[in-house]
Amino acid sequence: MNEKDQHTDVLVIGAGMAGIEASLMLSKADRKVHLVERTSYTGGTAIKFEEVFSNMECSTCMVAPRQQELLQDKNINLLTLAEVEEVKGSFGKFTVKIHKKARYVDMQNCIGCNACFEPCPVSLKNEFEEGLSERKAIYVPCAGALPNVPMIDTDHCLRFKGKDKDCKACQEACMFEAIDFNQKDEQLELKVGAIVAATGFNIFDSKKAPQYGYGKVDDVYTAIEFERLYASNGPTEGNIVLKNGDAPRSAAIIHCVGRDKKGYCSSVCCMYSLKFNHYLKSKIPEIKISEFYTDLCIPGKSHQKFYEKMKETEVDMIRASEIEVAKQGKGIAVKFSNGNGKKSNLPVDMVILAPAIEPRDDASKLAKILGISIDEYGFFKEENPDVSSVVTSKPGVFIAGCSQGAKNIQDSVSQASASVGKVLSLSK
Amino acid sequence: MERKIGVYICECGPNIAEKVDIDKVIDAVSSIDGVVVAEKYKLLCSADGKKFLEEQIKKQGLTHLVISACSPKDHEKTFMEVCENAGINPYLFQLANIREQCAWITEDKDEATKKAIRLTKAAIKRVRYHASLEKKEIDSNPDVLVIGGGIAGIEASLQLVSPDRKIYLVEKTSSLGGLITNYEKTFPSMEPGSSIIKQKIQDLNNDENIKIFTDSEVEETIGFFGNFEVKVKKITDVEEAAEFDVGAVVLATGSTLFDPKKAPQYGYGKFDDVLTSLEFEKMNLSGGISLKNGKPPKSAAIIHCVGRNEKGYCSEICCMYSLKFVRYLKDKIPNIKVSNFYSDLCIPGKSHQKFYEQTKGNNVDFVRSSDVEVTKKGDKLDINYKNETGSKNNIPVDMVILAPAIEPTSDAPKLAEITSISQGDGGFFSEEHEKINPVSTSTEGVYIAGGAQGPKDIPKTIIQAEAAAGKILSSLIPGRKIEPEVKTSQISESLCIGCKLCLSVCSYGSITFDEAKKISVVNEVICRGCGNCVAACPSGAASVKHFTFNQLYQELMEAVQ
Repeated sequence: MNEKDQHTDVLVIGAGMAGIEASLMLSKADRKVHLVERTSYTGGTAIKFEEVFSNMECSTCMVAPRQQELLQDKNINLLTLAEVEEVKGSFGKFTVKIHKKARYVDMQNCIGCNACFEPCPVSLKNEFEEGLSERKAIYVPCAGALPNVPMIDTDHCLRFKGKDKDCKACQEACMFEAIDFNQKDEQLELKVGAIVAATGFNIFDSKKAPQYGYGKVDDVYTAIEFERLYASNGPTEGNIVLKNGDAPRSAAIIHCVGRDKKGYCSSVCCMYSLKFNHYLKSKIPEIKISEFYTDLCIPGKSHQKFYEKMKETEVDMIRASEIEVAKQGKGIAVKFSNGNGKKSNLPVDMVILAPAIEPRDDASKLAKILGISIDEYGFFKEENPDVSSVVTSKPGVFIAGCSQGAKNIQDSVSQASASVGKVLSLSK
Repeated sequence: MERKIGVYICECGPNIAEKVDIDKVIDAVSSIDGVVVAEKYKLLCSADGKKFLEEQIKKQGLTHLVISACSPKDHEKTFMEVCENAGINPYLFQLANIREQCAWITEDKDEATKKAIRLTKAAIKRVRYHASLEKKEIDSNPDVLVIGGGIAGIEASLQLVSPDRKIYLVEKTSSLGGLITNYEKTFPSMEPGSSIIKQKIQDLNNDENIKIFTDSEVEETIGFFGNFEVKVKKITDVEEAAEFDVGAVVLATGSTLFDPKKAPQYGYGKFDDVLTSLEFEKMNLSGGISLKNGKPPKSAAIIHCVGRNEKGYCSEICCMYSLKFVRYLKDKIPNIKVSNFYSDLCIPGKSHQKFYEQTKGNNVDFVRSSDVEVTKKGDKLDINYKNETGSKNNIPVDMVILAPAIEPTSDAPKLAEITSISQGDGGFFSEEHEKINPVSTSTEGVYIAGGAQGPKDIPKTIIQAEAAAGKILSSLIPGRKIEPEVKTSQISESLCIGCKLCLSVCSYGSITFDEAKKISVVNEVICRGCGNCVAACPSGAASVKHFTFNQLYQELMEAVQ
């Protein structure tokens, strides 16, 4: 493709690990990148983790330098609170419509001092913290979020809801005149040559598998909730505690939650469940941990080594089926059949579920906008994995990360690099 | 030259101003020798603030700049740009962090002010000893050496080649294609393996910008990112050699199988009709599946995880290809009974479980087992094993197919040495970072892809090849110069005692030994300034520019005074 009227800019959708990698690489190649992110922050799901397997490296320390690089990169136009609404044209000549919601805080003037939070009279559950802590109507999702600029949640702000039209508590607290109630949503039109979609994943709603007691029994957590409980910038500042404030003396980690409903292995749960074992032991050394699994799936050259290290901590690995979680007295009972079909019952203080990874709710909508297909599970569909799993049926539209299927960070980043390889080689 | 140091203190709105008595800081530093101006400003990182600084530098004729403000992570880059714009070297600048390390954490205003004074004084002291550092630019060669002519090497070559980028593809065997050429079909698509590869090999052969060396080995790659000198030798003819220059190297040397003779309990090499997975692939590809006696087997056992204990890792693809083998067997011998002996079924990936579900049943057993042993009983092979409950069982079969662990090829150590990269878990090539840099290595410009980096299936191998190509396409652009790291290590000729400790700790292969002078020498183009050599050097000869002993010592002494 050498025609002169081709656009060289690239649209990257999603500012998680895959989107960041793709953007930084494209910028290095002197391409201008429009990075569209649905939320107010970059880093995706990886910034919710305190540590990553198998080196137990601090996740935010791993991601933050890349986020900083992204923010300082002049070739990258980061559009937060933005969504793709329409894509027209073909490879080399796409026209993209973006809806960018107003943040109501000026990105240039705000220095991220957080002085505006405190006076805000509204308080509600923080979604980033899985509802485990409260936030204000003007907020950043967690300490250390980047860009470190708050947003106003107009669904709850008294001023925007019309409940108190004169409330300007945040504006009065801001010394930098950064808060601008007159900001408007923007409708942008971009000309790009190629598109990389890296929109990430959801986790299976554990309430859809009621046998695990999620939402019914206290102290049953999903994997992401537990990540936040352990996170030093999370709702408990990293203290693993039960609802009643006590530290758990025993915990069950249940693998493969929702696997039979989804019909695939989510590939990362065994490893992060072993990581959870480490989380628990490092905070509460005497805790008794049982991992309920069917098949231990720990592929990769470094993963078994990690498993063997975890086994030294005397974790009970129980191959089980027909698992049920119920309230029992003040605690929880995990009922299960073991390998012999024998039924057992284990009392524990805390249960952590490892739910399947599934496509985002809006995956099929976005696929339609992009003109690509989704597979039978709802993930973005590659044209042919034997040819390249980042190439879609629509020329010029590439996919990367968990939006293509469940995978770990390494494979997400590889796919992002591969997408960039495709963009650069097909338009060189 | 007379030093004219300008000191500017940022109020950061109320963030610093409310917690630190900035006027006191100014009083404490204005009379320091060399300080020609000390002032405060509301917000130095703002557009107005930057303009103010630029004007000040010019107006006051400053030679050095000290700013007391926020974390270098926030705005060091911002202020270095200000220096450049105002015409002073950006390394003649020092940022003291009096926000995160002072205003935001110290409750008492007097204490915070005292600390801010110390930090500012320390920065002033340090900046006196700063030296100008200049960015360098060097020419680069966009051509690429790809080692390994399997699917990864082929894919990388095709993606990289262009009229302004030559590819040198070196394959040690006589033909291209690698392991995949042995597969009748690949999972989960069950498409013919040959269909993937044939067209690509043809494309390679037709591209005049790709030079293919078969029966050849790489002997030497000397140099650094953008400029490697390569020597390739013909294995079949020692006289024949080629030399050329490239800017980057892709190692895609693939993998091989664990030798099952090292796990004698499986009877490999002892009994007929015990095959490795690769032998079975080849047999299946060549036509019929038959026993040594020429008859088709009535029953077969597939034993997973052969050598996993010895290797210490799960090879990722064996469960899936074992399922594919069930399909092969059932396609050719519909009545055959197939038993899979496995420990854990590892079938990650969105379409793999479906493949499993469509494969099981119909005289196909999955036996979760341990302590598997193959013996001979009459004219049959006998699989002895322990089942899940620990009780011993045996099943007689006609044929045994082993799924041995995947390991790096035998030339991996040699290639790692040639390209100055390391081997990690399992002897596979080590990536620069497990998560965020899986195809880069500690040697800039050397990339890894496919089975050589770790066990993986064909789609993941292709992805890594495309990723490695992407890394090269984005950083090694024809006609563009390369900017090496500025803050590199330096080794003093007079202080070096020639102990070579630094050579052993350098992760980037940037230090060589000058045999004539008996001293270590840093190649500044390769060095990334990590400081390993500085920590190791017993004679104090090694130091990193901009972090010299003296700079750190002066700063520290002032701070703790």
